[in-house]
Amino acid sequence: MARYAMVMDTRACVGCQSCTVACRTHNNLPVDMMYNPVTTVGPEGVFPDLHMIHIPLICMHCENTPCVDACPTGASQRRDDGIIFVEEKKCVSCKACVMACPYGARVCNHEKGVIQKCDFCMDRVDKGNVPRCVQTCHQKARTFGDLDDPNSEVSKLIKKHNAVRLLGELGTEPYVFYIGLEAQIR
Amino acid sequence: MNRNVDLEQEGIEIKKSCCYFCHQNCGVNAYVKDGKVLAIEGDPDFPTNTGGLCCRGNIALLHLDHPERINYPLKRVGKKGEGKWEQIPWDQAISEIAAKLAAIRDEFGAEAVATAGGTQRTDDWARRRFMNLFGSPNGFHNALLCWIPTFMVETAVCGWSPFEIDLGSSKCLVLWGQNPGASSMPEMHHLTELREKGLKIIVIDPRFTETAAKCDMWLPVRPGSDLALALAWLNVILYEGLYDPDFVENQCVGFGELFAHVEQFTPEWAEPLTWIPAEQIRESARMYAMNRPGNIQWGTACDQQGKPSGALMHARALLRAVTGNLDAPGSDLLTGPSLEYITDEEMEGNEFLKDEQKAKQIGADKFKLCTWPGYSKICETTKKVWGKVPTAEWMCEAHAPSVFRAILTGEPYQVKAMIVNATNPINSYGESKLTLEALRKVDFLVTCDYWMTPTAVLSDYVLPIAGALERPTITSSYGCTDFLLASQRAIQPMYERRNDYNFWKDLGVALGQAEHWPWETVEDAYFAKIEPLGYGTENYDQFVEWYRFHFPEREYQKYLRQGFATPSGKVELYSSILEELGYPPMPEYTGPAENENDNPELAQEYPLVLSTGNGFMPFHHSEHFNIRSVRYINHEPHFQINPETAKEYGIKENDWVWIETKRGRIKQRADVTQAVAPKVIITERGWWFPERDINEPVLGGCLESNTNVLTSTSDEDCDPISGTWANRGLLCKIYKVDGKEGK
Ligand code: SF4
Ligand code: SF4
Ligand code: SF4
Repeated sequence: MARYAMVMDTRACVGCQSCTVACRTHNNLPVDMMYNPVTTVGPEGVFPDLHMIHIPLICMHCENTPCVDACPTGASQRRDDGIIFVEEKKCVSCKACVMACPYGARVCNHEKGVIQKCDFCMDRVDKGNVPRCVQTCHQKARTFGDLDDPNSEVSKLIKKHNAVRLLGELGTEPYVFYIGLEAQIR
Repeated sequence: MNRNVDLEQEGIEIKKSCCYFCHQNCGVNAYVKDGKVLAIEGDPDFPTNTGGLCCRGNIALLHLDHPERINYPLKRVGKKGEGKWEQIPWDQAISEIAAKLAAIRDEFGAEAVATAGGTQRTDDWARRRFMNLFGSPNGFHNALLCWIPTFMVETAVCGWSPFEIDLGSSKCLVLWGQNPGASSMPEMHHLTELREKGLKIIVIDPRFTETAAKCDMWLPVRPGSDLALALAWLNVILYEGLYDPDFVENQCVGFGELFAHVEQFTPEWAEPLTWIPAEQIRESARMYAMNRPGNIQWGTACDQQGKPSGALMHARALLRAVTGNLDAPGSDLLTGPSLEYITDEEMEGNEFLKDEQKAKQIGADKFKLCTWPGYSKICETTKKVWGKVPTAEWMCEAHAPSVFRAILTGEPYQVKAMIVNATNPINSYGESKLTLEALRKVDFLVTCDYWMTPTAVLSDYVLPIAGALERPTITSSYGCTDFLLASQRAIQPMYERRNDYNFWKDLGVALGQAEHWPWETVEDAYFAKIEPLGYGTENYDQFVEWYRFHFPEREYQKYLRQGFATPSGKVELYSSILEELGYPPMPEYTGPAENENDNPELAQEYPLVLSTGNGFMPFHHSEHFNIRSVRYINHEPHFQINPETAKEYGIKENDWVWIETKRGRIKQRADVTQAVAPKVIITERGWWFPERDINEPVLGGCLESNTNVLTSTSDEDCDPISGTWANRGLLCKIYKVDGKEGK
């Protein structure tokens, strides 16, 4: 069984938000909703000694899932390949998961009255494609693949660059990894 | 692409189309069924974008059938700008427009008809062909703000413009006023990769950009002072002996003159002009000259400074030459025109325009390089060496601001009609108030566009134009390079939209040009262009399906075989072409159009330094403001200001602020950021508000936040060589928008 993960190379990301828009188009989200905002940190420092970094955020597809644990109806679930998703017809929009998720990854679709989130484009992944945000990124800042396969691009990248997880101290063990954070956030 | 669309259903065809929302023309796979595009995706096999699409590219389907798109030919029935339209058939529109143009030609001469274009979004050779056959020399684009002066200056000096960079084995790349992190997305990716392998990147930009954040050295020049920097780099490279003696001796003329000429331009001299410490000027010049081979990539910023622009491009061209970074592996390449396919220039029919009409081109007496006098000279030498000449559309055009002035003043003669194609001049050309007055005044105005823009609404006819997925596209860098990338249409145009090619052709035919328009469809025309390549395909679409690209084998150092395409056959460090046209043969120092040294009185009233030109994600020029899915990313206009300056003026983040030059004022919101130096103001361009009333007098609020209100197009602020006008290096003042004026 695969164990899906994504690697974000912040050295490459330019904060263009193509991924955000592509995702919204693919998932048919209303204009004010997004699964994957890209935050810009900086420019920090004093002119002209500056640095700036862009950090794409998405659902981290955690190993330990406060969101799934919090869900009273069983709408929030994990697949065997590690993808966390919401079964919309079971969702009563109680927002327990929204409160539980430390990454702010869950959003309320007011039009549909359900909570939604990034599910790694499991519709595409199941057909052997990469998630839409990965495909659209001109900068190849996102890499998707199977962490259980030591030869996969994600495994190699994580190893080579000592990729880190966000808010690692919380113990949620996310499956989204970041490269280049330490070097750039000073 | 949408997860609810089943792409495995029967009957889906994948068309190799492209994105058209900037001229990267990224490859797109369009999933088409029954004449409808169900989904699009970046084409992973396309050599530039390899599957990527930026945020604009991703909204192609929204663009394709947006409720605000113009879908039928419209004829004005009310007063000009009143917004009353009648839907009419194309045939009627064409025959009425043709009749009107013929009448104007009979009464005032063909030169009384002008055409305005935007960025390369159209089949410009077709427009040129129409104009040549009609007899008017007065076509123009925003071209003078974008590469064209650079192309012509570089061609004057070294026989072609080194438009292609050979990054694979390059050791140093200078991005001079360019931010590929927001404007050439596909390329930026390669830069990140190459930098990991040791490529040094120098970014010259007053703004700390996406790209500056990822480079080895960032030089935050005072806006408009790049010329001083370039001259100082020349000084360092020549006087520290960092030039390439072999290349200079064997391939250049005028080295002695240049050596003496640049002695005065020391880094210490440049420091107060550029605001860059002399030592950093030295270090950066060394970084470029000592990491050979290297590239200096073109960036629009250098074309947009007005007065000093021509000399700046000249100095930049000389930097490449003295370091031998020309047409050698890893350096800037001189591809020359393609000898294998029919170039845009050969499609333009420039032979149809009579000399007496060429002589009437507006601006050709003042700005000689990018008009018939300079263009003809350049053609003589390029023809001899390359066998072909550069594209005339773009390189040889009427001076846009002078045409707008001619409409208003009748000088040098009356211009009565304007056809506007793929541009919104009020927002995109300089000095918007003047441009707007000209468009209000011109007798006859026709606009071909996707949207009802502030310009379109003033028109007599507005014609619906086909977009990216509805038309084929060939990319060959304005016909000035030797490769090509081809894309096909995904579907036939929806509603009654047509290609701009069909517009020019139909109009031409209606005006008696039928024998000169042998190609029924634009595919036929493209096929005529590429047939000589010998791929043996039967039509254009087949070429796209089977081959799609043509990249000729690269030959380096062609100068060893054929010399350089200049009068002397060498790189002319002392330029005979510029001298003959009456310009300095070596770059002289000129300050920015407005600056504290040359205009101390002005600087008292307008103490801040303004740069207006830069583009920004997610928009492309003044386009995409209608599309919510893009607009939400940046829905209000912002300018950048350093915290120190903001404090001085009591301005806080997000405050609405007036920015004023002696030509007018606009308001944008403050983005208080360290990204710019104290005293520098950098505005966003393009802004108008399609959500407001588009009709007179509101016109979509087209002057309110439009940075071009601030720019200058007066003759003395324009570059004397090329005529490019001043978007950067101006003086301004700012003050908070008072509560009552706010929104
Ligand atoms: S598309 Fe890529 S470069 Fe652009 S914001 Fe997303 S991750 Fe960053
Ligand atoms: S990031 Fe939030 S929503 Fe995603 S798996 Fe972790 S806790 Fe759940
Ligand atoms: S708008 Fe974006 S996707 Fe379209 S061609 Fe330009 S970079 Fe490519």
